[in-house]
Amino acid sequence: MDETIAKYTTRKGFFKQYKKKSRLQEIWTRFLRNKLAVVGLVIFVFIVLVAIFAPLIAGYDTEAIRINVPNRLHSPSAAHIFGTDELGRDIMARIVHGARISLVVGCAAIAFALFVGGALGAIAGYLGGKIDDVIMRCMDVFLCLPDVLLALAIVAAFGTNLVNLTIAIGLAFTPKFSRLVRSAVMTVRGIEYVEAARAIGATNTHIITHHVLINCFGPIMVQVTLYVANAILTISALSFIGLGIQAPIPEWGNMLASGRVYMRDYAYIVIAPGMAIFMTILSLNLLGDGLRDALDPRLK
Amino acid sequence: MNMEMKKPNEQQTTLEIKNLVIHYISDDEVVKAVNGVNIEIKAGKTLGLVGETGAGKTTTALSILNLVPEPQGKILSGEILLEGRSVLAMSELELEAIRGDKVAMIFQDPMTSLNPVHTVGDQIAESIEIHRKVSKQEALKQAKEMLELVGIPSERSNEYPFQFSGGMKQRVVIAIALTCNPNLLIADEPTTALDVTIQAQVLKLINELRQKYHMSMLMITHDLGIVAEVCDEVSIAYAGRIIEHGTLEDIFDHMRHPYTKGLFDALPDIGARRSELKPVKGLMPDPTNLPSGCPFHPRCDYAMEVCSRSVPENKWLSETHCVECHLYTDTNESML
Repeated sequence: MDETIAKYTTRKGFFKQYKKKSRLQEIWTRFLRNKLAVVGLVIFVFIVLVAIFAPLIAGYDTEAIRINVPNRLHSPSAAHIFGTDELGRDIMARIVHGARISLVVGCAAIAFALFVGGALGAIAGYLGGKIDDVIMRCMDVFLCLPDVLLALAIVAAFGTNLVNLTIAIGLAFTPKFSRLVRSAVMTVRGIEYVEAARAIGATNTHIITHHVLINCFGPIMVQVTLYVANAILTISALSFIGLGIQAPIPEWGNMLASGRVYMRDYAYIVIAPGMAIFMTILSLNLLGDGLRDALDPRLK
Repeated sequence: MNMEMKKPNEQQTTLEIKNLVIHYISDDEVVKAVNGVNIEIKAGKTLGLVGETGAGKTTTALSILNLVPEPQGKILSGEILLEGRSVLAMSELELEAIRGDKVAMIFQDPMTSLNPVHTVGDQIAESIEIHRKVSKQEALKQAKEMLELVGIPSERSNEYPFQFSGGMKQRVVIAIALTCNPNLLIADEPTTALDVTIQAQVLKLINELRQKYHMSMLMITHDLGIVAEVCDEVSIAYAGRIIEHGTLEDIFDHMRHPYTKGLFDALPDIGARRSELKPVKGLMPDPTNLPSGCPFHPRCDYAMEVCSRSVPENKWLSETHCVECHLYTDTNESML
């Protein structure tokens, strides 16, 4: 009883009732309302968990890359859920270990692109004028080339290893992020609170990091999820044409490439890695769409 | 809060703007926003800068903090002295040190001048953190005190701007402006975005706090009612010039310039509800193509032949009252 009275009579109690949900909680509630997005999130989390616990699910040396010719081209069975490939390797083991490569390279490449492209875009968008022109015309040159072609050229020039591949894909996506961040920054830059921040004596760096970029966070996050999907697709495409991850390291793209010869008679060889790529891209796209709706309540 | 009382010194000039000219230069035109503005604000006094939209009021205000939008905005000539120091000669570092500390600004639209992703407490604390060497906790504590000062319970400092009404947001904006106890407060139409009852509250608040902490203020507005309530002196701006300046009494009771008279005639009279409004005929001249001579002459009922030929000199009619009009070349008596 005393508590009830306190709730309405004390100042603290009065304001406690009005305690609002935090912004994150609100976004999370809106996100949960979107069933497809939740499906996307669940699938993606599942794929991430599989990648993290890959060694527990299947041995790398024993199953994913050890050639076992007598065992070749077995149809899916209890022992080999997705069957075995043309060299007798367990397809499930290869997919599980391939997930590690795809996710790590995809995320690292996009992180690289976000960092480099984002910084360039933020500088260009905030400062404008000649600096903007110089940065953006350089980005336009890169933007003219298709991502795969650009990544391909870089990998071909510097050699195919994991680091080069990551940087190549990262560079291919850099101009997209610089465009995105620049336009987001330009929209926010014109709003009065940025002028107000200047009027209280904030430095440019402070304004860009504390006022401008944080307000662009939503659209950038959405694009990050969508571009990670794109980057994973690019890795697979490069591997498929033999310039990405090299055999015998398991990767979805090179699994498709080596399996395509047997596709007519042993379709399961390509179906499984194909499904893995498909599910990853789909889950990321659903996740990205869901995030966009959750971050921007006006779309509802 | 570092709000020790400053000794008011009548002789001290907080702000002096001399012959300021600012043009916005783009590829195909030149917008002559400010064409020779002179302003002086004594310590602890309030100056009202009145004029129509496009008279150069906001540009003048922004120039005090050297915030005229680059790269189009160019300060072509003139001098801005803040307590005797030239603002235009300051480096970016020095400017950042005075912005928000010595000079603070209240913006027109509280809806957009607060950042939606930070709590109001954080936004008030930001200014303290920038200018005072204090910890984040200390800054937040001071921010809460500031909120109480503008009449908002400090419990709400953890809330976001969207949880506040328009009038409360403007209070927050005022709190941000006042946290560092500035010597000069620039209020750029602080009540335009608010409804009338809230306007009165906000004005009262600004006025009380200004007197309490003895700040000078530049009040930009197009509402003569606000001027009458809060200002000591008034400058009437027209097409980037100050065409008449004087004390409240000079302007309200002894107006000399035909444009000033036009402004007062255009006010509705509550005693004569049936009478028609008398607007100033015509429109504000296009700032890219100002008329020759006195910029007001095409709209002026008293225009003479000389008006289209030469720009009138600034003439002091008394200690406090000056006017830029050819009518007063030879006389100090009202010609209206």
